[in-house]
Amino acid sequence: MPEQPPYEPEGAMAATGTGGTMDLAASEATTLEKTPGGPGGTGPEGKPRSLWSDAWHDLRRNPVFLASALVILFLVVLAIRPSLIAPGNPLSCDLSKALDGSRAGHPFGYDGQGCDVYTRTVHGARTSVTVGVCATLGVALLGSVLGGLAGYFGRGWDAVLSRITDTFFAIPVLLGGLVLLSVVTSTTVWPVVGFIVLLGWPQISRIARGAVITAKQNDYVLAARALGASDSRILLRHIAPNAVAPVIVVATIALGTYIALEATLSYLGVGLKPPSVSWGIDISAASPYIRNAPHALLWPSGALAITVLAFIMLGDAVRDALDPKLR
Amino acid sequence: MRGARPVRWAAGAAAVVLAAAACGGGGGTTPGVFSASWGDPQNPLEPANTNEVQGGKVLDMIFRGLKRYNPRTAAPENMLAERIDTSDARNFTITVKDGRRFSNGEPVTARSFVDAWNYGASLKNNQKNAYFFGYIEGYDKVHPETGTQSADTLSGLRVTGPRTFTVRLNQKFSTFPDTLGYVAFSPLPRAFFDHHEDWLRKPVGNGPYRIVSYTRGFKMALRRWGGYQGPDKARNKGVDLQVYTDSNTAYTDLLAGNLDLVDDVPATQLKFARKDLDGRYINTPAGIIQTLAFPFYDRSWNSPRMRKVRTGLSMAIDRDLITRTIFRRTRTPASDWTSPVLGAAGGFQAGLCAAACVHDPRRAKQLVREGGGLPGGQVRITYNADTGSHKQWVDAVCNSINNALGDDTACVGNPVGTFADFRNQLGRHSMPGPFRAGWQMDYPLIQNFLQPLYYSGGSSNDGQWSNKDFDRLVDQANAESDRAKAVRLFQRAEGVVRDHMAAIPLWYQNGSAGYSHRLSHVALTPFSVPVYDEIKVG
Repeated sequence: MPEQPPYEPEGAMAATGTGGTMDLAASEATTLEKTPGGPGGTGPEGKPRSLWSDAWHDLRRNPVFLASALVILFLVVLAIRPSLIAPGNPLSCDLSKALDGSRAGHPFGYDGQGCDVYTRTVHGARTSVTVGVCATLGVALLGSVLGGLAGYFGRGWDAVLSRITDTFFAIPVLLGGLVLLSVVTSTTVWPVVGFIVLLGWPQISRIARGAVITAKQNDYVLAARALGASDSRILLRHIAPNAVAPVIVVATIALGTYIALEATLSYLGVGLKPPSVSWGIDISAASPYIRNAPHALLWPSGALAITVLAFIMLGDAVRDALDPKLR
Repeated sequence: MRGARPVRWAAGAAAVVLAAAACGGGGGTTPGVFSASWGDPQNPLEPANTNEVQGGKVLDMIFRGLKRYNPRTAAPENMLAERIDTSDARNFTITVKDGRRFSNGEPVTARSFVDAWNYGASLKNNQKNAYFFGYIEGYDKVHPETGTQSADTLSGLRVTGPRTFTVRLNQKFSTFPDTLGYVAFSPLPRAFFDHHEDWLRKPVGNGPYRIVSYTRGFKMALRRWGGYQGPDKARNKGVDLQVYTDSNTAYTDLLAGNLDLVDDVPATQLKFARKDLDGRYINTPAGIIQTLAFPFYDRSWNSPRMRKVRTGLSMAIDRDLITRTIFRRTRTPASDWTSPVLGAAGGFQAGLCAAACVHDPRRAKQLVREGGGLPGGQVRITYNADTGSHKQWVDAVCNSINNALGDDTACVGNPVGTFADFRNQLGRHSMPGPFRAGWQMDYPLIQNFLQPLYYSGGSSNDGQWSNKDFDRLVDQANAESDRAKAVRLFQRAEGVVRDHMAAIPLWYQNGSAGYSHRLSHVALTPFSVPVYDEIKVG
């Protein structure tokens, strides 16, 4: 990860906590510099490029972005139609083949219950991508709305919402998961998604708050206000487009960590529950066999690692593109 | 033994720290002393309050009762009893051997037994094994089902001399003497009553070992008691019982040379255990059967048609394949509701279950359909997940059922985080479907495999199955003074269990153990407990 340049204290204050949020403070504070008419380059037609077209211009030439986007595209296709490359049934297991190695048609071998590791690994992409995408959408939506309101209206709103944010920040993720999810009996992905949203929104909320605070001091916002624009119009037309970039960046990086979190919770037995197919469940089930049959552990672990890596690298690439200070 | 199995395997995720502490303990470096895997007992080590295996292991080292079950055959043999006489299967005269002492010097007398049994039965002492004294006359006064007790001592117990006492039962129970090897019937020294707190801190018994120190969550040190008079003196200088909360950790420690004896080799390691341990691995039949029990308090499982569904589920399970692949033959497919350890003369009937316990997916599907299908379209098998091997076999049983019924979600496992919570849910009668039911015998009698589990209101009848014919046959069997006739009556009662498929027999369990180069003469009893006193070090 490239060095972060120094930036103004406003941004530093907005970003407490993990390194991930610190990175964001940088891009958040710089967003306004890239706003329309900013010092960005010009397009082929000589028209000034917007932040977004500029970023897209960069991304298209970034091999890291292309590689991770390709992996993610592949994963999304698998999530929608896993049977494209794995026509088998992930729930059909033949115990007599338990822990067998690879053979024709079953390249990854079998797990401790005699299920085909290849089929389960491919089908596991669906839950991981579903949880990752849904949790990220939920977190981004909830976090940016609450953070945006706190940043825009300030004072009482800000004080209350910030304290609530602090409270949720203070909940340890794994402990919270073990306590809250252990009472859930549903075997769908939604309790896990809900839990991640519940604990994940404060991060986005802080970023959004900082971005909104920065954006609302801009001349064009003051101008819009002076012309009598309503709060909702200012928020949606002028502030949101200029504050959304840092949210997108954090959310993309967080998506990878949410997938890892789902696997962690499932590994501990409180996330997804069978008959759901999840890499976390498979890793958990295969871990006692690591000495006898490492293949059952390595394939789902590898898939998980690659997926998380792809989303984090994508997030990095997006941040680089949206953050001119790094150039 | 109620709930014995799971505690034995109990391994909480949170207790990794404790396991780490145990790892730090290292192997027995004292000459002649060896280390063995263990778990903290659930309760203080009062004999009548210990009904799980870990506490039972220690009590078996520091106590000797009137009878002892032969470590090889489980046959009840006189230990402290010189003789036990009866003429009517209801009044017993017991003579205690002369010259035996507790390790604090007190002599073992008839009173040591009578006081201990009165203590164990008394309601106010709230002992888990109190029901073992339920056959003795006056139990209903000392331990009424509701209200307060109207007597403190059992009227059926009378000390008649320094070494003799009489027992009067409230009904005929011909095999009563054979139950006296159970730990709840151990004698207790006066120190137990006079200095109870001190005794609890460092229990004093009359067995071949004495407790030197105990740190909860870490280890208990036991050393040979030089003054022990019995025939089974310890052949080593002592045992350090190291606390492990995960059998995988204990096994790894054994391989690493930090531990000398592991008495529960986890199923996931079985495939390579023989190779890992190079012959230092034993696998012995034990008086343990695993079954799937049903919530008969739930109407949807209790209707007459459900018998077909239960039988169908039983036939859907490929016991042979599961015991072969998951358990590496440390389990044997069950074909009755007792255990081969009893022997044919003791009531074991191989093949009693017949076709209903043989894998036949086609017939299974047909029976489930004829019985009206699965209640709610799905069975959820509840088990406690904190232990090493239950998840593996429940998943395998479910896959077996799913394959037979041709439905990927016909059966799912329903893990409960901890064994304690599992027991609580059983007690609340809130099982959503079949549940894991393991039974380890308390004493080697067919009665012990049937009455506590299937008798109306039985102490471990968690599914509340109730059948008049079964109850009547058990009553008759208990009243029968001829042992062979009693066994036959119990077998007829077991036939009722079979006809109604009150529980699905899964497999008979073996005990398995691995040990280090330092040890020899390692064996497991039919209760799957190591015979500590026979082990030689070096």
